Amino acid sequence: MPAIELENVRRTFHTSTGVFRRRRKEVVALDGLSLAVGDGELFGILGPNGAGKTTTIKVLTTLLIPTDGSARVLGLDVVRDTQRVRRSIGFVFGGERGLYYRVSGRDNLHYFAELYGLPPDLIAHRSEELLGLVGLKDRADEKVEGYSRGMKQRLHLARALLHDPPVLFLDEPTTGLDPIGARELRDTIRRLHERGKTIVLTTHYMFEADSLCDRVAVINQGKLIALGTPSDLKGSVSDLSVVELEVFGVSPEALTRLRALESVDSVAVEQREFRQLLRVQTPHGERVVARLLETLAGVEVGRVAVREATLEDAYVRLIGRLE
Amino acid sequence: MIQALGILRSSVMLELRQLATSRFMLMCVIVQPFFVAVTTMFMLRHRPDFDPVYVVVGAALSGIWSIVLFQGNWIIGGERGAGTLEYLVGAPSSLMLVIGSRLVGTIVFSLLSMVLSWVIGAWLFGYAITIAEPGAFLISTALALVALWATGMVLAPLGIMWRTVSTFLTVLEYPVYALSGFLFPILLMPGWTRSVSVLLPPYWAALALHGTSSGEPLELSVSVVWGLLLLSAAAAVALSWPLFRLVQRRAREQGTLALT
Repeated sequence: MPAIELENVRRTFHTSTGVFRRRRKEVVALDGLSLAVGDGELFGILGPNGAGKTTTIKVLTTLLIPTDGSARVLGLDVVRDTQRVRRSIGFVFGGERGLYYRVSGRDNLHYFAELYGLPPDLIAHRSEELLGLVGLKDRADEKVEGYSRGMKQRLHLARALLHDPPVLFLDEPTTGLDPIGARELRDTIRRLHERGKTIVLTTHYMFEADSLCDRVAVINQGKLIALGTPSDLKGSVSDLSVVELEVFGVSPEALTRLRALESVDSVAVEQREFRQLLRVQTPHGERVVARLLETLAGVEVGRVAVREATLEDAYVRLIGRLE
Repeated sequence: MIQALGILRSSVMLELRQLATSRFMLMCVIVQPFFVAVTTMFMLRHRPDFDPVYVVVGAALSGIWSIVLFQGNWIIGGERGAGTLEYLVGAPSSLMLVIGSRLVGTIVFSLLSMVLSWVIGAWLFGYAITIAEPGAFLISTALALVALWATGMVLAPLGIMWRTVSTFLTVLEYPVYALSGFLFPILLMPGWTRSVSVLLPPYWAALALHGTSSGEPLELSVSVVWGLLLLSAAAAVALSWPLFRLVQRRAREQGTLALT
């Protein structure tokens, strides 16, 4: 039996526009999403902003009721067996909020330990153990308002582990962390996975998914568009190379010309302050560079590099096809 | 049961720590009763029927009511704003138990206004603050606090459910203050307001506290007043139970547990 199952889950939200003549609008966040996550698996959910990643996590953590379809965690229905599901899961949402800032990190843990029904004689011991695990022992008695973003994020993880749940949901846990903080958190996630926990992780960082996850699902506009191991997904672009071109002020017309080239599979643009980084996926490798530069005539071009395709390129190709 | 007691204890401690660092709540519990007590004593002290105990009890009740009204109305919204509401709802404990325990902390904190009002009467103005029926007054105080806590339990889900209701609740401070007879007998109010007063737990709380502290005979015996005080508190808690369920159900359906 899978640890987590989603069957044709649809979730819509209603928003309204206007002040005097209000118009209701339905937004589809999940559109018939079906997934299964195995016991002890570290499963990644990837997708652009608004793809439905957080909504999926919120449905599975009982915080949202699906509009249609069903979701189960350890065989328990998230709508009917709400309390039992809550006892079996821990969850962390990215960002700094969600903690009591005016009390210490230790007090935060003690409070949530009571809410999760830990026996009184175990609370202090368990909190101390988790503070050690996330590296906050030395600062545990300071008020949370003085913690850095990384410390708050680690405290969140400790809070989620208080009752030692078999299933963990981590929604963009490393967003906004400095590289060292993010690496430490990834190491902690890896250790938890080694202990046999089932973990669902959403992230925008492809290298993170590549290095941590057993399998990943790519979703967009609430639909599943790819599912497999990171190697499977990378395999879908193994025939491609990526030419990275640093350009200054590329016009939409130039991009259109580039995309129209027969030797170009896709072009992604990343804005970096006053310059842009073009990632051109092509089966022809460095042989196409001269043709690309010719097409970009009149555009100031800086660094040019050719490399093998990564999971990020597979992701860009998948999402790019839909846009 | 042991788990519920643990939640109660830790919630009270958390609430006390949070309130002790909130300037607005400190103003409600200290500054407001101070102004109410001082101005009323200045206004009424030359009247032949002036009773300082009545003013002390009334000022204390005004402080307790203010903090119950504002914290009750804002407690769930405050958790939502801080991003902690999802973690509270996502925990296996009942949200009603968690918020109810936090409001017990609010009530404990509000006792500061009672102490302060007594200090103003006894030390600042030098009145002999004597309680006519100390035993009955203690029981009345305990029951009054239960009734005000129960009122907070109704305010908490109502305050988060509809924005307009929350706005309306914040302007209820003075009307309830007047309708419950905290500082002035409700006989000064138009007769029809009595039918509204009897529905309010704070009215029965004020009646029990004023009656047992001043020794003035009540229209009803004190035990009947206690009974009605408890009845109004029980009715408020009974009303709050479906409201809490409705709040959670609606928030999970509409996706409003978080601000983002």
